[in-house]
Amino acid sequence: MSAATASRRGSAARAERFGRAVRLWVTAGPGLAWIVAFLVLPSAILLGIGFFTSGSYGGPELPLTLQPLREVAGYSILGWSSGNITVLARSLIQAMSAGVLTVLFAYPVVFFIVTRPPAARPLLLLFIVLPSWTNQVVRTYAWMELLGPESALSHLVQSLGLLQPHLGLFPGVLAMQIGLTYNYLPYMVVPLYAAAEKLDWALVEAGRDLYASGPRLFWNTVFPQTLPGLLSGIILVVIPAFGDYVVPTLLGGGKSMMIGSLIASQFLETPNWPYGAALTIFMLVFTCAGLLAFRALSKRLGGAEESMM
Amino acid sequence: MMGISLGKSTRRSLLAMSLPVYVLLYAPLLLIAIFSFAPPPLARGQTFYWYADLLHSPEVIAAFRRSLTLAIGSSVLGTALGTLMGFGLYRYRDRRARGFASALPSLIIYTPIIMPSLVFGISELIFFSFIHGATGLLGAGLLTMGIAHVTFEAPFVALVVFARLSGLDPNMFEASHDLYADARQSFLHLTVPVIRPAIIGGFLLAFTLSIDDFTISFFTAGPGSTTLPIYIYSAVARKGVSPDINALATLMIATVIGTGLLQYAFTRNRTRKLVARPGD
Repeated sequence: MSAATASRRGSAARAERFGRAVRLWVTAGPGLAWIVAFLVLPSAILLGIGFFTSGSYGGPELPLTLQPLREVAGYSILGWSSGNITVLARSLIQAMSAGVLTVLFAYPVVFFIVTRPPAARPLLLLFIVLPSWTNQVVRTYAWMELLGPESALSHLVQSLGLLQPHLGLFPGVLAMQIGLTYNYLPYMVVPLYAAAEKLDWALVEAGRDLYASGPRLFWNTVFPQTLPGLLSGIILVVIPAFGDYVVPTLLGGGKSMMIGSLIASQFLETPNWPYGAALTIFMLVFTCAGLLAFRALSKRLGGAEESMM
Repeated sequence: MMGISLGKSTRRSLLAMSLPVYVLLYAPLLLIAIFSFAPPPLARGQTFYWYADLLHSPEVIAAFRRSLTLAIGSSVLGTALGTLMGFGLYRYRDRRARGFASALPSLIIYTPIIMPSLVFGISELIFFSFIHGATGLLGAGLLTMGIAHVTFEAPFVALVVFARLSGLDPNMFEASHDLYADARQSFLHLTVPVIRPAIIGGFLLAFTLSIDDFTISFFTAGPGSTTLPIYIYSAVARKGVSPDINALATLMIATVIGTGLLQYAFTRNRTRKLVARPGD
């Protein structure tokens, strides 16, 4: 009798577990299936194309080859050329400089905001974030206007003799750097602000009581406390800046490509899908490496890992 | 709260370093607005010349309507799928389970969020062109753009809904079960009303993401499905800086900044009321 109850209880538990699984798939299933069908599968196909031979119209053809990946490193049928490495290096340098520049701009702003009265802080932060809510194309276009050959800024630089007359500050590497920094600054300010708002000022006071002065005080008391926010900010700026498409195509011009515009041109202009896919693999490896490094670093810092789901 | 005692000179230098940042953030946007009010030489005095020009451009009007259609349509489906995902994962996932299979749903949900939008867009471009080549279905256009938009909207909605549910008392669901509500009744009469703010917030977020998106739309768009950001991009790529684009950009900037400020004023009043409530 008791054995029968136990087995009935066991099967009831099993039935309940089964019911939960069914309900999970009925509720979450359609959305998950949608993402798998329309993003996971397509991006797997894209990555797979990186191992095919480029056909006569740039489409993927058999046999499988590592040639597209070798091409990323600069080896083509014509031999090695530095063009590719230059683009990759430029993208890295641009993205990392954007990271450094946003940090330099963000720190004073963040500490300006957190030292204001609490009621004023949300509005001051909002004014930093607001421009980034406008469309990226519009934001980038605004700098074309500001840096163009007829702009006051370009006239100034021309009259200083730093630029030939009738040339603008755009297109070029400088314009791209400005565009990236401008576009991604709020993504540095917001996480840094979140960290700075929770700052334990007693530590700063203690440091001051021990006669630490300006830079040392900042380096030893403020900086370590804002480090988690700084790391998130760097991830949020450097990774998307590296793969940005709008800024390099509008502000960079043909001579200063970044990986984003190089990838896109393999699919839009003179098609070479396998090569474009191989470049994409490189970009995704960079993205994943960045995220993993971030995870490892923030774990070592003991920061509570934010896992929403 | 611990008082923040910075020296006067530190405060002043913080202000001196921050003010230029604020100016630089708005200078380009402001400049566009100023230029948009400069009429061509033959139409002096007509401040709104370029704005009138916009209203008479069928292309701009059509692009605007397409943007709206795409945003509303995709957000409705994205919100439905996202809400169900957020709810299902909160309510029915075995949280004690470990391992790859139980982490899989979160991994899938985070894919569209982490994926660089260029890779996202090109993946869709290739996928849809393969499907179109094989079956003749899904030619590039508003439908393919909508599918792509739903894909990046749903995860954000799921996160918003999940966050809201996590802040609730889990016993509530047990109570409804004890009162003999079945799963469907419990969902419709308990869950949906409780998470309504999250659903509305998620919908608005999805709408904003869709309206704002350029890169993914650009790679999934067809010849007849130019939305506003794509219209601006192709005009700019073709002819560079031009006054009618200034006017259009100014309208978009003004809408966004206006909405942002209104939203701020609205939420601030509401928090004030919430804070004031225990007193009365």
